[in-house]
Amino acid sequence: MNRIDYFILIATILAIPLYGLWRTRGHPSLGLYLKGDASIRWGTIGLSVLATQAGPITFLSMPGQAYESGIGFIQNYFGQPFALIVVCAIFVPIYQRLKVYTCYEYLGQRFDQKTRLLGAFLFLVQRGIAAGITIYAPAIILSALLSWDLNLTIWLAGGFVIAYTVVGGTKIVSLTQRYQILVILIGMALAFGIAVHRLPADLSFTDALSIAGKMRKLQAVDFSIDPSKRYTFWSGILGGFFLSLSYFGADQSQVQRYLAGGSLRASRTGLLFNAIVKVPMQFLILLLGAMVFLFYQFEKPPMFFNQPTYQRAIERGYGPQLTALQTQFDDVFTRKRDTIQAMSTASAENSPALTAQVRELDAQARGIRDNTKKILEQAGASPKSKDSDYVFITFVLHHLPHGVVGLLVAVIFCATMSATSAVLNALGSTTAVDLYRSLIRPKASDHHYVIATKVLTAAWGLVAIAIASFASLVENLVEAGNILGSVFYGSILGLFLVAFFLRNVRGSAVFFAAVIAQTLVLVLFFTSSIGYLWYNVIGCTAVLLFAWILQQTVFRNTQAAAARQ
Amino acid sequence: MSEQDRPPLFGTWRKAYAFAIATFAIEIALLYAFTLRFS
Repeated sequence: MNRIDYFILIATILAIPLYGLWRTRGHPSLGLYLKGDASIRWGTIGLSVLATQAGPITFLSMPGQAYESGIGFIQNYFGQPFALIVVCAIFVPIYQRLKVYTCYEYLGQRFDQKTRLLGAFLFLVQRGIAAGITIYAPAIILSALLSWDLNLTIWLAGGFVIAYTVVGGTKIVSLTQRYQILVILIGMALAFGIAVHRLPADLSFTDALSIAGKMRKLQAVDFSIDPSKRYTFWSGILGGFFLSLSYFGADQSQVQRYLAGGSLRASRTGLLFNAIVKVPMQFLILLLGAMVFLFYQFEKPPMFFNQPTYQRAIERGYGPQLTALQTQFDDVFTRKRDTIQAMSTASAENSPALTAQVRELDAQARGIRDNTKKILEQAGASPKSKDSDYVFITFVLHHLPHGVVGLLVAVIFCATMSATSAVLNALGSTTAVDLYRSLIRPKASDHHYVIATKVLTAAWGLVAIAIASFASLVENLVEAGNILGSVFYGSILGLFLVAFFLRNVRGSAVFFAAVIAQTLVLVLFFTSSIGYLWYNVIGCTAVLLFAWILQQTVFRNTQAAAARQ
Repeated sequence: MSEQDRPPLFGTWRKAYAFAIATFAIEIALLYAFTLRFS
């Protein structure tokens, strides 16, 4: 990165929050601080919801995911449009009618105080840790590749977010997210255009897609019912539906985004906007990864993208083994490149043989990379995240022009800031409304609660930074974030589904059902090897089932008492 | 009906949901056609 890059980076990450601070100056009421005002329209809500979901991992890892395994990951989003429609039709009208600040307030009104606190507690534990990972994951990658100090990078990404989120509340989060996501989309579109432009001049875009397809990178939809396949149409529709329903219906960091402004029409339209644009957006990000993959078929890629880890292994005396692998890798790369060039001009009858040859060479290259990883592990230089997480940022830093590099690094920071600000805003609001106001100071002034929310938001920001500082203890960050969400989401969604659909179930039954279900999920997590996405389904189903059984047996009398009243 | 709770451009919310699902179905069809063309 040169001076132009640093100028663009600093100008971009400072300008948006400063504009937001100017727009939100003044002393807001609690309602204004937690929900914003009517100036927040559906477009802002739609972009804000999009920005909250698309954290830095999306833009760092997704292209790398397509580079490694193709664009089949898109199917994970197939359940989301249906979940968003359910949220629009059932969740949003209830939240808006009751004028709640947090979705857990609704649990208090429908059931009782302890169920409300349980929902809020599960959210706070899960999101508090996830906020730390959101800050740490891009910081470890950027600090490694740009030789920045890790703690300084964490504070740069996290400190500024805390400051503006505390000052401006929900309105500044929505406003800044609108511009941050625009910067992100412009940056990713530029990267896509440049990746295509950097392909060999004699290769048309259609030919490029054809080669990527023959190398099995463009299978977007797979209707297979083979359960061993990780991404299929069916697993995306079913698993994606449950995950999205929990995330959009029962996670305050999203609920607060679409309740901003207080209009049912704006909330619903903003969510439907996401139902329509999410799949095309993720497709283009994954296709960018496929283009980067193609680029590296003609330009030799590093054998291992996480170069700092690779260098550490050389320093520890593993240079000879790695040099031997590098020689093999170079040879395979040259033969593969020549075969791909022959394939792009081959006649129809020669094409299948060349395709088979390219696939074989690609498998050999992958085998060499796997062996490299084993040597790095032997050297004790085990990386903290997958090597594919470093693919896109390596392409950006080494092959994009100055200025664009600064913009793309700003994209990573914008994604970190937008996702973190939404989560801190939700953590502060939930702690203030569901714990502080309901348990500690029930009858204070509006101004008192605004100050309390600000203090609690800042406190959560410091907790997130502290977690980010200790996150190096976690082996695989992206995986850790997903597992953490899946362990808690099922039980939280179960609480809300019981509230909506099992009208005869009362507070005590659902409370103990959620406690049992969460314990069950934790026991399974520590003792079994079930795929983590299943925890969502198990947790949710267990709450529904146990709540109904407990209400019919142990708490039968509470139902009768409620009916008499 | 207040300004903020007006139905969407499509007249009713049911039509808006149908539009979202129809758009999603078209997206899936295009993705499947893309898969068939380039695999």
